[in-house]
Amino acid sequence: MQVTFKILRFNPETDNEPHFEEYRFEGHENMTVLDCLHKIKWEHDGSLAFRRSCAHGVCGSDGMRINGRNHLACSTLLKDLNTKKTIVIEPLPALPIVKDLILDMTDFYEKYKAVKPYLINNTPVTEDSERLQSNENAEKLFESAKCILCACCTTSCPSTWSNNNYIGPAALLKAYRFVFDTRDEAADERLDIIDTPDGIWRCHTIFNCIESCPKEINITWHISQLKKELSNREL
Amino acid sequence: MYKHRNSQGSGSFSWVFQRITGLILVVIMIGHYILMHYTPESGHTYDAVLARMQSNWYRVLDLTFIVLGMYHGLNGVWGIFRDYKLKSWQTITIISILIILGLAFTLWGIKTILDIPYVQTSSGLLVK
Repeated sequence: MQVTFKILRFNPETDNEPHFEEYRFEGHENMTVLDCLHKIKWEHDGSLAFRRSCAHGVCGSDGMRINGRNHLACSTLLKDLNTKKTIVIEPLPALPIVKDLILDMTDFYEKYKAVKPYLINNTPVTEDSERLQSNENAEKLFESAKCILCACCTTSCPSTWSNNNYIGPAALLKAYRFVFDTRDEAADERLDIIDTPDGIWRCHTIFNCIESCPKEINITWHISQLKKELSNREL
Repeated sequence: MYKHRNSQGSGSFSWVFQRITGLILVVIMIGHYILMHYTPESGHTYDAVLARMQSNWYRVLDLTFIVLGMYHGLNGVWGIFRDYKLKSWQTITIISILIILGLAFTLWGIKTILDIPYVQTSSGLLVK
């Protein structure tokens, strides 16, 4: 079948503004959007730039806006799109474009680092023991630990669009991951970090993050648990 | 860039109280709609309202409605403004306007309700 892709292109060395370019090629319903981008790059226009690595929905490199929805290119099949119409591909919004579909992710990772995304436990472990956790407590963390840092959620959030200082759902999800980890000793520190005007209170439960998450994480629920935890602590 | 500004005062009080006032307002609003729009026999004339206002419970209900409604509404507006990046002078200007408006309308509302006269006679009949 014939497929038409309209891709937002931007070359900082030659373009003042991003612009759309169209590509028409023979596709198959079982091709992913990433396969199509490869086909365009390898057979039509070698200058097209995009990130990808594992191509199996694990690395989170190829998050992009496909027909107006944030998703992974490698996890989106052509048969799930309306191929009778032009398929529009844009970079994720709210982050600066480096080239074509490649974004400068610095701000996203700075926010991620702000919540200290690592286990903090200063209590020494004896040689014959380890930091144990019950199955029940581990299960509370499983869903939040599935995040692959693709930035689909944070860049789909209207709060991020209006205020790019907002810490964003991805960082808040990571905060949840460690605040509710019974082995961690820095929950209060993390709650202080997110309890700011540009922190958790900018989340208005809009649910865009859930819609866009390729790992189907209920991010809004996790953020609501953090809000409850903060409210219980403060009131 | 996200700035961790500790000791800014938690937003949890504002968040929780916005929800509590929202719930209370929903209940009061339902009562208000039933009374004012679906039970015309309850009377909507000045005399009928004046008669209702002879009850201190009714006055307290209306005062609660005013105070919670103003808090909920203006806190919501402030929340919308906070969704945008504001310069410090903009923040001060907006919050000053909201506080002044909030206090003015709340006091006006409270005065209006408290100024409603008690007109019942010893026999319990209204005097026009």
